[in-house]
Amino acid sequence: MSRPQTQIERILSRHSTESPGAPVEPEDFVQVEVDRLVLLDMAATHPEFLAHLPHRVHRPERVAWVFDHLVPPPTVELASGLVKLRELATQWGITNVVDIGRGGISHPVMAERGWVRPGEILANTDSHTCAAGALGCAGRGVGMLEVMSILCTGRTWYRVGETVRCSLTGRLPAGVAGKDVFLSLAGAHGAIPSRNIEFAGDGVAALPIPTRQAIATMCAEISAEFALFPPDDRALDYVRARIPAGEPLEPARADPEAQYAEEWTVDLNRVEPLVALPNRVARNVRPVSEMTSVPITRAVVGSCANGTIEDLEAVAEVLNGRHVHREVVFTVTPNTSEVMAEAARRGLVDRLLTAGALVTNPTCGACFGGHMGVLGDGEVCVTSTTRNFQGRMGSPHAKIYLASSATVAASAVTGHLTDPRALLRGEDPP
Amino acid sequence: MKLVGRAWVFEDDINTDLLYPAACFRVPPSERPRLTMSANRPGWSAEVRPGDLVIAGTNFGTGSSRPAADNLKGLGVAGVLADSINGLFFRNAINTGLPVLEAPGVRAFVREGATVEVDLDTGSIRSEGRELQGRPLPPFLSRILADGGLLPRLRKEGYID
Repeated sequence: MSRPQTQIERILSRHSTESPGAPVEPEDFVQVEVDRLVLLDMAATHPEFLAHLPHRVHRPERVAWVFDHLVPPPTVELASGLVKLRELATQWGITNVVDIGRGGISHPVMAERGWVRPGEILANTDSHTCAAGALGCAGRGVGMLEVMSILCTGRTWYRVGETVRCSLTGRLPAGVAGKDVFLSLAGAHGAIPSRNIEFAGDGVAALPIPTRQAIATMCAEISAEFALFPPDDRALDYVRARIPAGEPLEPARADPEAQYAEEWTVDLNRVEPLVALPNRVARNVRPVSEMTSVPITRAVVGSCANGTIEDLEAVAEVLNGRHVHREVVFTVTPNTSEVMAEAARRGLVDRLLTAGALVTNPTCGACFGGHMGVLGDGEVCVTSTTRNFQGRMGSPHAKIYLASSATVAASAVTGHLTDPRALLRGEDPP
Repeated sequence: MKLVGRAWVFEDDINTDLLYPAACFRVPPSERPRLTMSANRPGWSAEVRPGDLVIAGTNFGTGSSRPAADNLKGLGVAGVLADSINGLFFRNAINTGLPVLEAPGVRAFVREGATVEVDLDTGSIRSEGRELQGRPLPPFLSRILADGGLLPRLRKEGYID
């Protein structure tokens, strides 16, 4: 009998160019066909790309070009770079260009558009491509040189890593989010470079897709190779609603006897609001309730991980008529135009503006320290974006605390790190 | 492929924002390497010499897809040896022609300033009369390194000029 496969092993095995369908195991290196490729506007900042343009593109219909980091372009040079990229897309026959104002951050926007499909392999030059795992798609961030190679050949390679199975049980309590689930894992287990993580257990079914996306996206911060949720009915329904009727899906599931390197469990009922302290995520996490003496000057909600409609709802619920603290600047960045439009329809944008928050267009801007609200010297920021590294969001002399959008909103109201549950219960902020 | 160089030793979790700060996106490519690790080890980029080796703890290169390996290469760093390496950094390093090797225990094994010899194909690391075994690179990755990275490979295969 052949070796039982984990979910990621099955996907890699099916995509092998040398022996498709043959079982793979940890330490194998597998050459694979890539199903879909996403280029970003950041290509404009890569001289090695612009100086060595591919003569032609392999399957341009399977390539998308998403503008998300430099949106809207903050400098003349970058704006000119985007002009060049649009010309290249036309020249190469890439029609799937997600331009400024018509999309948003690549991971959520490609999911919205049915480009993230269970059982497929997706490559993208952004490290948070593991977000695709929320829908059972093997997404992995790759570098610009590798993207050039995939553009030319349609192929790449992966090292098959050992896999951790993370069983989720129970249900998340009010005021606790996917971000907190991730932080509980990062705090307890630390980083897992060269390993994968597959989520399982009876707690998965009740998790909405944005919650799964937040968890899968953040697994980049524990250096997971791939982070996969099972392609259950909720995931398949999400995808089917976004692709042409009748297009086949080939979801991959783990064999029941598949072998895992480690088993983790999370009782969702017992997860509480958590915060990663500045400079690193792995093994650097505390309950928010123990950190309330930390004053903040900046609060940020957004990013591929946490700029979803679920996040904006959570923020509005916590604010509930309260105002942003007078010494805090609170920025909220929906992660796609669809999310922003829906937030406007639900009246969330109005509630945020009334509270004194700044609502920006969808962009990766502040999360990667590029523009649209970078941090100054001495600032202390609590953010639901993706990273708390020194200098990540601007000044190396600023401090970044990573938390859920609800925790960020509660902290924006009080002016210091705050567990959102008291505010949600209607109690006065401390 | 074999390397011999002077060691610089770094801690766990050296991330891409330290290796390639956001300020790199705002300056010409030739000015980017000098910003390497300016936040966590100011002045280092002026001290490191071509041929030196970077030794680090676990989870080296965690973070984004930005070309962090290019900054080390731009400073003349000959290779990176770490207890464990983020997969994306590992790919980016091989693809830009910067040798990398995972060797659990290497950070404690190497003294800063010591001479270190590495055989990438066998995974053997020697320093001060002792030997440590790392995870050797598979032949197809060694070939990419031997070609000088993916650009020369793609040029050789006729995909780019």
